[in-house]
Amino acid sequence: MLTERELQISPIVQESVLHNTKTLTTLHNLTASLFGVGAGILGLESYLGFVFYLVFSLITSALVYAFRVRPGLIQESHDPGKSSMERYFRSSIELWTGGLFEGLSGFVLTWTLFYGLVRA
Amino acid sequence: MTWISKSVTGLGLLFLTHACYSAHEHSALHSTTAASLSSIASHTAAVPTVASLPIDISIETIVAVFTICLGLVLGTPELRPIQWRVWAGKIEREGEKGFSSSDGTVDKDYVGNPFRVLESRPGFIDIRKQRKEFAEWVREGGGTAEAS
Repeated sequence: MLTERELQISPIVQESVLHNTKTLTTLHNLTASLFGVGAGILGLESYLGFVFYLVFSLITSALVYAFRVRPGLIQESHDPGKSSMERYFRSSIELWTGGLFEGLSGFVLTWTLFYGLVRA
Repeated sequence: MTWISKSVTGLGLLFLTHACYSAHEHSALHSTTAASLSSIASHTAAVPTVASLPIDISIETIVAVFTICLGLVLGTPELRPIQWRVWAGKIEREGEKGFSSSDGTVDKDYVGNPFRVLESRPGFIDIRKQRKEFAEWVREGGGTAEAS
């Protein structure tokens, strides 16, 4: 956690934080419904479905890291040693588990819907 | 970049639709055959539950989900640096170009150069000239004020 002193020394742009968080949340909401469709088609039940969701959410985060975070870091490669995620997020936890719980309800919704549709 | 993401997402949706239809057909077919088989063999009420999907439909579903996921990630807007120094440096270097979306329009919350106040500040005030002007004004305007 950043202290007030550190915030004074290296200030943070609130608009950018908001923009990044919004981007991640939108993506996770969209992909969660999509994973629900996939889990419903596969006919997964109980824990297996949640494991499916967890695995694919982590894959999404990895894709975001590979396609959105990494290019900016390579551009700024003259600043080594810093924690790589600090350019876009306050901590790396925000990227990996940020949208995990917002998308869960959408996931369960489409999961049950498509399970019922396919196995009708 | 945007047409790549759109086409990848569309391809994935196509796969997903096909997989969904296949799964539905499979379950429908399986249930009818199971029912007819059980009626023919006149078993006791031991209709088997829906068997697991064929492996090709499972693979197609997973590939489709992954493809749509990839397309959606490619379609997200660029992240922005949150540290003030990195962010301001990016604006200084790239200007509006770094903050426009893929179709060329600048984002609504682009605030421009944060240092433009410094760039348009006035120079030093010529205090002696102002004093001379004030003295002249006193000589003229002060006189009229006295007269009126």
